Amino acid sequence: MPDSPTSSSVPADHPFRRKGRGTDGLFKAFFAGNAGLTIVILVLIIAFLIREGAGFFPDYRRELELYRRSGLEFVDLSRKDLTAHEQMSSLLNRAYYAQVNASCRNEFQRSQEAAAIVNYLGEVVAPAQSALQRVLDRAGEEGVPEELQASLSAKYQALLADALAGRAGKGLPPTPHLSSAERAGLLADLKSRDPLSTDDPALVLALQEQLSARQDAAAQPLEDFRAAIDAFADASVALDNLVAESGDTVKAIKEAATLHEIETTKRATLLEAAAKAKKPEDKLQFEAEARAAVTTEAVDFAPALKPVLDRIPEFREANAALSAALAGAGDKLPKRLEDAKAQRYLATFRKGMDAYAIELADTNAALVAWRNDLPIGLGSTILGFVTGREWITGGEWQDFYGIIPLFTGSLLIAVIALALAIPLGVGAAIYTNQLAGRREQNFIKPTIEFLQAIPSVVLGFLGIAVLGTLLQETSMKDSLSWIPGFPIQERLNMFTAGCLLGLMAIPTIFTLSEDALNNVPSSFAEASDALGASKLQTIFRVVCPAAISGILAAVLLGLGRVIGETMVVLLVAGNRIEIPDFTEGLGVFFQPAHTLTGIIAQELGEVPFGSVHYRALFVVGILLFAIVLGINWTAQRMLHKFRIGHD
Amino acid sequence: MVTNPSNRVPAIAIENLRFNYGDKEVLHDVSLDIPDRQITAFIGPSGCGKSTLLRCFNRINDRIPSARITGGAIRVGGIDISRPDLDLQMLRRRVGMVFQKWNPFPKSIYDNVAYGLRIHGEKDSKVLDERVEHCLRVVALWDDVKDRLKSSAFGLSGGQQQRLCIARTIATRPDVILMDEPCSALDPLSTLKVEELLLELKKDYTIVIVTHNLAQASRCSDQTAFFYLGELIECGPTGQIFTRPSESRTEAYVSGSFG
Repeated sequence: MPDSPTSSSVPADHPFRRKGRGTDGLFKAFFAGNAGLTIVILVLIIAFLIREGAGFFPDYRRELELYRRSGLEFVDLSRKDLTAHEQMSSLLNRAYYAQVNASCRNEFQRSQEAAAIVNYLGEVVAPAQSALQRVLDRAGEEGVPEELQASLSAKYQALLADALAGRAGKGLPPTPHLSSAERAGLLADLKSRDPLSTDDPALVLALQEQLSARQDAAAQPLEDFRAAIDAFADASVALDNLVAESGDTVKAIKEAATLHEIETTKRATLLEAAAKAKKPEDKLQFEAEARAAVTTEAVDFAPALKPVLDRIPEFREANAALSAALAGAGDKLPKRLEDAKAQRYLATFRKGMDAYAIELADTNAALVAWRNDLPIGLGSTILGFVTGREWITGGEWQDFYGIIPLFTGSLLIAVIALALAIPLGVGAAIYTNQLAGRREQNFIKPTIEFLQAIPSVVLGFLGIAVLGTLLQETSMKDSLSWIPGFPIQERLNMFTAGCLLGLMAIPTIFTLSEDALNNVPSSFAEASDALGASKLQTIFRVVCPAAISGILAAVLLGLGRVIGETMVVLLVAGNRIEIPDFTEGLGVFFQPAHTLTGIIAQELGEVPFGSVHYRALFVVGILLFAIVLGINWTAQRMLHKFRIGHD
Repeated sequence: MVTNPSNRVPAIAIENLRFNYGDKEVLHDVSLDIPDRQITAFIGPSGCGKSTLLRCFNRINDRIPSARITGGAIRVGGIDISRPDLDLQMLRRRVGMVFQKWNPFPKSIYDNVAYGLRIHGEKDSKVLDERVEHCLRVVALWDDVKDRLKSSAFGLSGGQQQRLCIARTIATRPDVILMDEPCSALDPLSTLKVEELLLELKKDYTIVIVTHNLAQASRCSDQTAFFYLGELIECGPTGQIFTRPSESRTEAYVSGSFG
């Protein structure tokens, strides 16, 4: 039987015969187009990110080369030691004042409380007081109309009475460290004070005197310590001067080189325009402008730097002075300080001494070995970006793009957010899925998911206005001073930001964990029940372990959300571009910081298009993209890897 | 071999039991004695209430919110277990259960068997080791798995997993083992092994088995109860039920006329 396509086709009049081409193909093309377009857009975005970011490293490398050739790097060798010296001195000072203040805490609080009362009353009566003062000033010789004076005085008395009764503002401040007789005396003093007087009442003065006397007394046994601190602090004078003077010289070199480069670029642009110009007169004009464009000579770096490098012996001498002071300080400092906080600072100083001594020795060697004409490789540029401890932009000296401070900020904030969101999110999921009744489930699930509906800018606003202030005020309480980092110095800090981000991550972690628990076959729980397990045993020994991969994936996706979130951290994290001070222990979380996301949002609007800074922000963006992608990918893997093979 | 149920104290005594899912009564006035250390088979067409009755014996039906006993009593060791203040955990230690679909935990073979002992507070690893080995030997798994006790239970075949579930159930030394169609998802060879195991277990445990497989009921059980539409139609020694039933519906069912 012949089997050609024509003979095997359906006869034209048969009901099985397909009619027309149909619209199936059209629909298919439409939906395929939707999917395809989305993918194309994603690819374009990635390509754009990479193109904008890729230019960063060569540009940054050129900047770093200029930094080296013009000698800024040389000066920074010593400047770094100065900064470290300053930090070490500050540690000693903090130890000293912590020790002094520790022994007069009571006096300090008494003085503060009395002053708080005086300030409060002063603020309340201020309007009447200043009105009275103005009237008297203007009246001159004729004197003030009696009734005006009387009415103002009455106003003053009324305000004063309000204040004394604590009816105005937040009420009279409490004075737990003053005796009731002292408080009464102080109030009586203030009540009878002349309306125009701003003199401090006797008690305030007496308390201040007591405080300073106590401080003097406390400082007495610490005189040697003080002298050692001062000696150590003063040891940097020589190096300070050297760095300042050389700094001016190398900055001038760099500016000259930069100017020359700008002019050369301008000439090149003009010459290009001339080559393209159609009219001869335009061409001539461009060429003339190009000739005039370069007004400076190319900088010859080596001779320009010679005066600085000639002073290397002086640098080494100043450096040696610092080393000597450091070694001397070791013996002169007290072995122990009584106050725990002071002792901690002192211990930190002692721990840092060896490292600093090594650093100084290294600098001594580096000063001689330093060359201004060594090339900078692309690899070390990338390394400088990834491991750089400084993000400095728009400065006069030198811009550095190191992401460690931003990365640390993002990481610490994420740690706090997860520390809050994991227990709350997973706990709520366990309760909802395993213990709650149907009606509770129907209430809890939408309510927690509703959190997601709060716009992040609103949360950030809440963080500034409510949470930050509340936390700071709470941290001022004496009874809480044992918590590391309390009292909080900055209202906007990583902890506040982390709490809000945790709040944002809860719905993600909750919903996905709940799904994971829901996906555990009920036969597991049934088997456990049938073996006589209690409800909690079933949950924690069977259901949760079975759902652990899903719960981990939920946590990771929550982490992805936290790392990628921008608005809240920009508003609340405090935006200080610095590696947090880890010597504070857990208190590190109460410091402000900047983040990978925040820096892009804050700076991208202000940088010149196409500049190194602009490109640096793109690289940060790529990095962020990679991190979040990595987290999500791991979460997906996690889900597949541990999926329960129940079949 | 047929023994008369009445000459021993029954392990479970069911008296005029009524049971509801919501407003629908699914067991009507069922009375039945389950004899000690024998195998009782529940047979009947789908939806006849045999599984529901089985699931009353360890109150596992409580997992379903609308399910409740509305009348009568179930006595295990003389105590009515339908009372609300019953300690379910203690009941389920006495009355173990094996399910239709094998359901080992996503844990190692060892941890599966040891689970019941651990939740009841056994921590001594020597005691656990001994008990796990014993139970795995009883279900004839020991030689197959002794070298991979720490590997996942999901690596076993279906029949092995079901026998592991039986080992897990007997690990806590229950008096009664309830089996809800334990072989319905197994191949014939695995079924045979489980049936051999049942006859072995009968020495120490009272067994109640729900099955759709009439041949299985006739092969292993001592007593058979036939249910139809929520009622116990007939109960008696297995041989009698299969050869000369007194009810015509029983005869129709066991001869394959419906079901």
